[in-house]
Amino acid sequence: MERTIISNKMSNKFTLESSDSKFFLLYLNNYSEKVELTVSNNSNVDILILNLHDDTVVHFDVLDNAYLHVALLDHKSTKNFKISANVGLNSTFSAHFADFIVGECKGEVLVNLNKEGATCDWHLASLTEKNDKKEFDVSVYHNSPRTFAQMDNYGVCRDEGRLAFSGICQIYKGAHGSKAHQNAKIMVFDRSSHGVAKPILKIDENDIEASHAAIVGKINDEHIFYLTSRGLTEDEAKRLITLGYLKPILNGFVDDDIKKTIEDLIEGKM
Amino acid sequence: MSTLVIKNLHAEVDGKEILKGIDLKISEGETVAILGPNGHGKSTLLNVIMGHSKYVVTKGSIFFDDIDVLKLTTDERARLGLFLGMQNPSEIPGVINSDFLRAAVNAKSEKPISTYQFYKLLDRATKELKMPFDLATRSLNEGFSGGEKKRNEILQLMLLEPKIAMLDEIDSGLDVDAIQVVADVIREEQKKGRGFLVISHYARLFDLIQPTRAVVIVNGKVAIDGGPEYIKRIDQTGYEFIKTELGIEISKEENNMNTVSIGSCAVKESIK
Repeated sequence: MERTIISNKMSNKFTLESSDSKFFLLYLNNYSEKVELTVSNNSNVDILILNLHDDTVVHFDVLDNAYLHVALLDHKSTKNFKISANVGLNSTFSAHFADFIVGECKGEVLVNLNKEGATCDWHLASLTEKNDKKEFDVSVYHNSPRTFAQMDNYGVCRDEGRLAFSGICQIYKGAHGSKAHQNAKIMVFDRSSHGVAKPILKIDENDIEASHAAIVGKINDEHIFYLTSRGLTEDEAKRLITLGYLKPILNGFVDDDIKKTIEDLIEGKM
Repeated sequence: MSTLVIKNLHAEVDGKEILKGIDLKISEGETVAILGPNGHGKSTLLNVIMGHSKYVVTKGSIFFDDIDVLKLTTDERARLGLFLGMQNPSEIPGVINSDFLRAAVNAKSEKPISTYQFYKLLDRATKELKMPFDLATRSLNEGFSGGEKKRNEILQLMLLEPKIAMLDEIDSGLDVDAIQVVADVIREEQKKGRGFLVISHYARLFDLIQPTRAVVIVNGKVAIDGGPEYIKRIDQTGYEFIKTELGIEISKEENNMNTVSIGSCAVKESIK
């Protein structure tokens, strides 16, 4: 897929429109300066980010009636990063984050739904293994009426990996008609691994819809029995279950080579 | 022709003995109806044969020809030619049905099946079962109706071609038309010489698939191993004759219901 390359080597501020091309590749060099991207009114933009860097700060301003999709894949040793977004009238900030970061990492994502009709659609799939220690804090603030957030954080934790999902969905007074749904699921493969999910809802308005779910647990024995009773070995069964858990993140990626990379990462081929 | 031989099988779950000395033999080409009151060990028997880790075998043996089945893992038993169509098939999110089916087909064959061959196989099987093909592309059993799950079990039976297929209440959740479809498939599979161990509470399925034998399990033991005429008798008169004619007291199903009732605190009850 042809993507227009933008890089923080060129500038720290970009305004993106979907007039010529809607597909961009944001290339981040190892500078710690904040990168700011503005998606213009009525634009529909898709940005691919391959690997963040330590102390990366990326901020998106999604103006009115605009749509931004961010596809993020990281399989390097990023230590900490911050991603934030302000979302305008009837606009959407949608993101798919395939996390294969190696080592210790602390990531923070903060989305402000500032005007009516603003939507945040967040998906994270994390593979945490081999002494990785990762913490992701994803928070969404509903500052206006009829703002919507769907947040799905999925993780697989194995071989002494430690993974924590936290985050707040806050609906302020006056943000009536808003909806906030948070899902956090971590599958812990073995006793040496550790998973924590802490979804928090803070609600100051009555006329809203909100839910949160947190599941941390080992692979269901019945699932293993079902798959092995069809002739699959236990390892093969576990592999299929892991794939099934993380694979839905592929829906957020359109570039075939990136999809292939993610599949290989999930299957541990890289 | 292969034969599964179960001798004096004892098994327990959570320290409670469920199977108390089962003796049973089934060969390829036979269809054996398994009957018996609820909670007396029918499903447990099938799960133990398949090697569910929840059940502990304390005594006895299971041999498939000269192979000691109890020494094998569940997947090895499956590859040996044993199949269990489950009463409540697991819903496994994210695992695509066709990916799983293909992995299962590949598990039993030496060389992997080609994509074309696999889809041809799948297309034929789903048509025979009158299943929408899109079920194959959805997550395994997730969001399937009760009937769709059961058809999906039969679909796997067709693809895996076991020697002995065990079906645990495959007809529950199926409407009259679906039972007919499933029975048609079973009859086709019977012609291929497969053995069937079938649990059902209803004579309708048995009428359609014509078992060669009927086995009644009471109190964790085989109380009757006889002709198919017992199916009709039990359907019409229940299990009472087992007590009056054979002198076997049918123990009541233990009441495992949660004792917490509305008005009491479940948390308090649970820490008592």
